[in-house]
Amino acid sequence: MSEDAAIEAPPGEVRRRLQGSRLLQYVLLQLLIAIACGFILRQPLPAPPENYAVTEFRLRQGDTERSVTLPHFASARSPADDQPTYTGRFTFPAEQPPRAWSIYLPRFTNAAEVAVNGVVVLDTRRDPVANRPDRSTPQIAVIPSALLHGGSNELTIRVLVWGPISAFLDTPYVGPDNVVRPYYDRRALLFVTLPIVFSAWQAILAVILTIMWVMRRHEPAYGMLAAAMAVGVLQAFLSTPLDESRYATLNSIAIASAPLESGLVLAFGILFFGRKWPRWGLIIFAPSVTLAVAGLVGGQASVRSLYLFIGTPTVGLCLVMMALISGNAVLRRQDAASILLGCAVTIVLTSWIHDMLSVLQIVPDRRIFFSRLSYSAMLVAIGAALTWRFARALNQVDSFAGRLVTQVREAEDKLKASFAREEERARAAALARERTRLMRDLHDGLGGQLVSIVALSERGNDASAGIGDAARAALKDLRLVIDSMDDIGGDLMLALGSWRERAMAQLRPHDIELDWQITPPGLPVHPELRPWHVIQIMRLLDEALTNAVKHARARRITVSIETRRDAPDLDQGCITIADDGKGFALAADGAAPAEGAKAGRGLRNMRSRAARCGAGLDLISGAGGTRVRLTLPHRFPDSDANG
Amino acid sequence: MTPLSDEPLLQAISVLLVEDDAPTSWRLQDALTKAGYQVRAAATLAEAKAGLAQAAPKVLLTDLQLPDGHGIDLIRETRQRFPDTEIMVISILGDEESVISAITVGATGYLLKDAFPTDIAATVRDLVAGHSPISASIARFIVRRTQNNPEPPPGPPLNTAKLTPREIDILWGIAKGFSYAEIAGHLGLSRQTVPGHIKSIYRKLEVHTRGEAVFEAVQQGLIRL
Repeated sequence: MSEDAAIEAPPGEVRRRLQGSRLLQYVLLQLLIAIACGFILRQPLPAPPENYAVTEFRLRQGDTERSVTLPHFASARSPADDQPTYTGRFTFPAEQPPRAWSIYLPRFTNAAEVAVNGVVVLDTRRDPVANRPDRSTPQIAVIPSALLHGGSNELTIRVLVWGPISAFLDTPYVGPDNVVRPYYDRRALLFVTLPIVFSAWQAILAVILTIMWVMRRHEPAYGMLAAAMAVGVLQAFLSTPLDESRYATLNSIAIASAPLESGLVLAFGILFFGRKWPRWGLIIFAPSVTLAVAGLVGGQASVRSLYLFIGTPTVGLCLVMMALISGNAVLRRQDAASILLGCAVTIVLTSWIHDMLSVLQIVPDRRIFFSRLSYSAMLVAIGAALTWRFARALNQVDSFAGRLVTQVREAEDKLKASFAREEERARAAALARERTRLMRDLHDGLGGQLVSIVALSERGNDASAGIGDAARAALKDLRLVIDSMDDIGGDLMLALGSWRERAMAQLRPHDIELDWQITPPGLPVHPELRPWHVIQIMRLLDEALTNAVKHARARRITVSIETRRDAPDLDQGCITIADDGKGFALAADGAAPAEGAKAGRGLRNMRSRAARCGAGLDLISGAGGTRVRLTLPHRFPDSDANG
Repeated sequence: MTPLSDEPLLQAISVLLVEDDAPTSWRLQDALTKAGYQVRAAATLAEAKAGLAQAAPKVLLTDLQLPDGHGIDLIRETRQRFPDTEIMVISILGDEESVISAITVGATGYLLKDAFPTDIAATVRDLVAGHSPISASIARFIVRRTQNNPEPPPGPPLNTAKLTPREIDILWGIAKGFSYAEIAGHLGLSRQTVPGHIKSIYRKLEVHTRGEAVFEAVQQGLIRL
């Protein structure tokens, strides 16, 4: 039923319901985390045995003096107030052999000066790390044995305050050094060493993220996070100034940079979750600017007092905003990054609330601050996650490149194979074309002549002269065909050289003179010249020669070869065959001559051959002889127009 | 230019004609005998060798494809045994495949089988006078081999390293159809010396080492004929 209802419900309602359940799940998860956090934060830190604790003190503040039990919050908040002094007693057993005794201060704000039997043994102001109220720095000092005497000893602790939080002193422990020190070490590890490790880590991530942002300017989220980390690292390594100098003011401003840092983290969150940068965006940085201005104008004191009223709430506000943004992102994107970030924000927010309750003394506590620690841990987690994501993206690019290389190689192989196939096909086609051409050329010349020989031989003895002529013509044609297939590199002059030899051999028995005139540089070179062009031209010249020998009864034949340049860049080769024979009259149409059907056919053939090569043919015949002029084309045609 | 007047000189010229096709052989014999040469004919390689054994001819005219062997062997043997004998190959087409192959083993001329009788006699006479004939296509083939092509053109292998630039120029002129007179004019030579250059070119193309790889390739090339 319910399934049916879900299907029938409009999509919008289904989505709303789904979103609602997601929101509920997420909020429950965060609640669980917050409770777990709170529980962990409430766990007391391990403490030395109770018999070494000194709890009963007399508190002297200004003129008043009263008994108190440590831990104790005093009302003093700034150096102007009366600084509280606690005086108590502890028992030192005069044991043999004597053991070194130490005084261990687990927690104090802002500083403490410890005296045993009136002699100062520890002044925490000398340790810069201990001067940061936001760190829960412990202190330990060995009590010189000369100061101790068996039985009751006096312990005086003067607490010094410079704000912004009030004075606090946790129970001190006085006992054998080897008993007390391990507890000190454990706290120092947690509240001194660990923050330094986190800061170093943050510094490295700041550098990495800065480089990422520089290389990828279109992702300012990285830049924001890098800036947040850089600010965090900067303030972590600064110590609280205890004097009043210009440098000290700047120093305190830098230490009070938490609002700036949280603003940057918020900006990172906004950009990282793909939200448009809001118009009110710069307001995020208003509190930090205010703090800085106040510091520059009013000095350290104003920074400290303002920090409590502006800085801390800003941090909290930013954290709440971050929680809302990441929660929204979880609903929208449902990805691991937003859920992780949301959980981290919840942890930091819980720590912050815990710290606030502690500062405001709402919840009884020993004033141990976890915000900074949890925040640093969060930043490191975020940075590490981003770096991991970046590395994964690089891996994806690598594998993509690898795939691409493989694909390109495959495509290349295919292309090569298909190219080889294509080449093979082209070669086969060229061979077939060449065979067709050869067949046609042999058919045109040799075939006809052989048939003529057969016919003549059947007629008997009187035809023997004709047989000889026909056979000789056939051989001549065979040589022409073979010669034309030679690669002459487009230089028609080379083909004409062979033709001249054949022509002279042909003319010699007829006692006709061949006058060969070449006007340098001869004919232009035609790279596009193909064997079939050569054969057409040679046959055309053969026919002109045959006409001159057989029909014109010429005594002298002149062949002139020249290059005509009618237009610039338009060289045209020109071959002229002129005889001194009797000539013939052309009919009006210029196609068929008036006399001699055989000569007529020869002329038609010559025109057809010239046309196939794209050449021009001029024919002038008169009483003084015949002149055939062949004008070669500027460029020979690729294909045979007449098939 | 009036060779018929030099009767006694021509009488002394002996020709060994090796041709297996009887009508062709008759035709050539007729042409040469009429011109006054003393002709001995052989139809096979064995007959030709027997003829050589009797007496060294002044001129050897041989076909390449013989029933019992190859004319190339005969040319090489003759060239080695009788360096003074002028050798000509008889070719149907005058193509580079047969002519160049013959030249590389020692021939210095070629004769077309269908040449006119007067031309046949004139060619032999010129050869004896030291003038080797050459066709435009043969000249073209040799010239192309002198150009350093990465892929040599097909045909019999040819070592043209010994040719001088002048000889290559002459070959170019012949390939382009210029007459000897025109070539001589262009190159500043005497017209009479050009045919002598041709013979010199042929001699330079000859392969002397019997075992040379080139020779093997020549033979392989000839098998395809």
